Amino acid sequence: MKPQACVNIHKEWDIVGARQLGREMAKDLGFGTVDQARIATAVSELARNIYLYAEQGQICFEIIDTIERRGLCMIAVDSGPGIADISQVMQDGFTTSGGLGAGLPGVKRLMDEFDIRSEVGEGTKIKATKWIR
Amino acid sequence: MDELIKLHAATYKELLKNYMNTQDERALYGVEKVSKAFIKENILPEEIVNLHIDAMEEVSTNLNKDYKHSMNFLLEAMISYGLAMQEIQMLREEKHVLESEISVAASMQETLLGTTKPSIEGLDIGVISVPAHQMNGDYHHFIKGTDGSLGIAIADVIGKGIPAALCMSMIKYAMDSYPEESMSPKSILKNLNRVVERNVDPSMFITMCYAQYIPSEQKLRYSSAGHEPGYYYCAKNDTFKEIKAKGLVLGVSPDTEYKEYELIIEKNDMIILLTDGVTECRDGERFIESQEILSIIRKYAYLPAQEMVDNVYKHFERLQDFQLRDDFTLLILRKKV
Amino acid sequence: MNLTVNVVEENEKSVLNVSGEIDAYTAPKLKESLLPLTKKENNKVEVNLEKVTYMDSTGLGVFVSALKSTKENNSTLTLLNLQDRVFRIFKITGLDEVITIRAAIRGGNE
Repeated sequence: MKPQACVNIHKEWDIVGARQLGREMAKDLGFGTVDQARIATAVSELARNIYLYAEQGQICFEIIDTIERRGLCMIAVDSGPGIADISQVMQDGFTTSGGLGAGLPGVKRLMDEFDIRSEVGEGTKIKATKWIR
Repeated sequence: MDELIKLHAATYKELLKNYMNTQDERALYGVEKVSKAFIKENILPEEIVNLHIDAMEEVSTNLNKDYKHSMNFLLEAMISYGLAMQEIQMLREEKHVLESEISVAASMQETLLGTTKPSIEGLDIGVISVPAHQMNGDYHHFIKGTDGSLGIAIADVIGKGIPAALCMSMIKYAMDSYPEESMSPKSILKNLNRVVERNVDPSMFITMCYAQYIPSEQKLRYSSAGHEPGYYYCAKNDTFKEIKAKGLVLGVSPDTEYKEYELIIEKNDMIILLTDGVTECRDGERFIESQEILSIIRKYAYLPAQEMVDNVYKHFERLQDFQLRDDFTLLILRKKV
Repeated sequence: MNLTVNVVEENEKSVLNVSGEIDAYTAPKLKESLLPLTKKENNKVEVNLEKVTYMDSTGLGVFVSALKSTKENNSTLTLLNLQDRVFRIFKITGLDEVITIRAAIRGGNE
């Protein structure tokens, strides 16, 4: 597993760039239309979180290609304020930016695997993977 | 589940093909049923759009480029709807869990606060207490003294629901610890006031009326802690009178003293105690005036006390479109001999 | 129904003009404006209820906690211009004897 491509996020239009890169990689890997759209939406959520709360950060994509399975992994890293109560932000109905059904629980639903680490004052790292079915 | 989806997907394609040829209502009815099956299986909107795109590829040979792009656009627009749907599903499940927890709590409360209507020679008692939500913030309790007297407590906690119910349990246990017979209404309220003042949130308080009926003296002794005044029906004059009693609500000031009042009760006289869920019944934007409550009580006065309170409750329940705004408690005593 | 609260600060005196209905839904709004004022040392808090047409026990709860808070902070609480219906529940609950209520009790049930 090695990094394949990264997008820096510091202005709103960078979210579009990240979506596009995520979608293209998903398409090349052979994801169907619905999954491509879901991956793009997940990228969007992660990128928007960085833009809104951390101001600056990065989303990197990795292609996972082993004998057992193939998939796309995305890693969003920022050095923003961090999240004090992860359980709370992972709760349904808890939205600070006002988007129904979105936020981090949304990303978790759109993807197959989801992991988050955060330190207050240091930043947040989110890793999410989708497998080709 | 995948098998089931494939089956529904096949039906969808079939119905679509049929509709493209005939524009038949039967096909539309068919798709209504398929769509319900999709919802039941939690199929997300983007998957349905995708299914539609695939089905159209098979059904029609001359799809143009614009149409294809537009359908992909639509699919994209559906993703967030799909997420919202999943979130709502999850919240619905959580709500079920909460509801069942509350209903367990409510039945515990019923057991904890349960009081049996005593049978007292020469006295007809009717009582009804209905919570606006699952848990009741009203409370009433009967204590039969060994000297033949009957103690009656009726109380209302500010607010409703779970906090109010928790507060009531506290009152109940404080009262259980008093040596009942030796205590007068005013000393019971004085003691409870201290318990409440020490133990509740500053914005909470309780109103309570404590009455003691002494059959040997045909007398009702009572004290009120800011409780909604009850009514006294005098059979001899056929009149209702407000039972006047002044006293501060429980939980505001630690050293409150309560006054005690007395009332002589004769044959067929009635004592009516209630909570403000009764007097604050609203009919639309209009409040129910006390005259109206009394006229309803009068209307059913020929019935035994329990049937009276049941009928009065039904009347106001109907008036409020069967949606109580507040907990409702009504208690009627009638001296039979 | 809505509740509007506006605060006029004078020297060592805060006047709260309240209008509308005070119930379980609107009481938090009143509490938010009222409680901080009672926490100022030696502050005179006046609440004008002239335009309050309805109040339930949740509203009373707000005034009870405001009263307790004034006692802790050496400030005072005065209620002004209560309508009949509103004054009635202060009277029933005996709160009229522990909270200073001043000025005319205006008629009218509107």
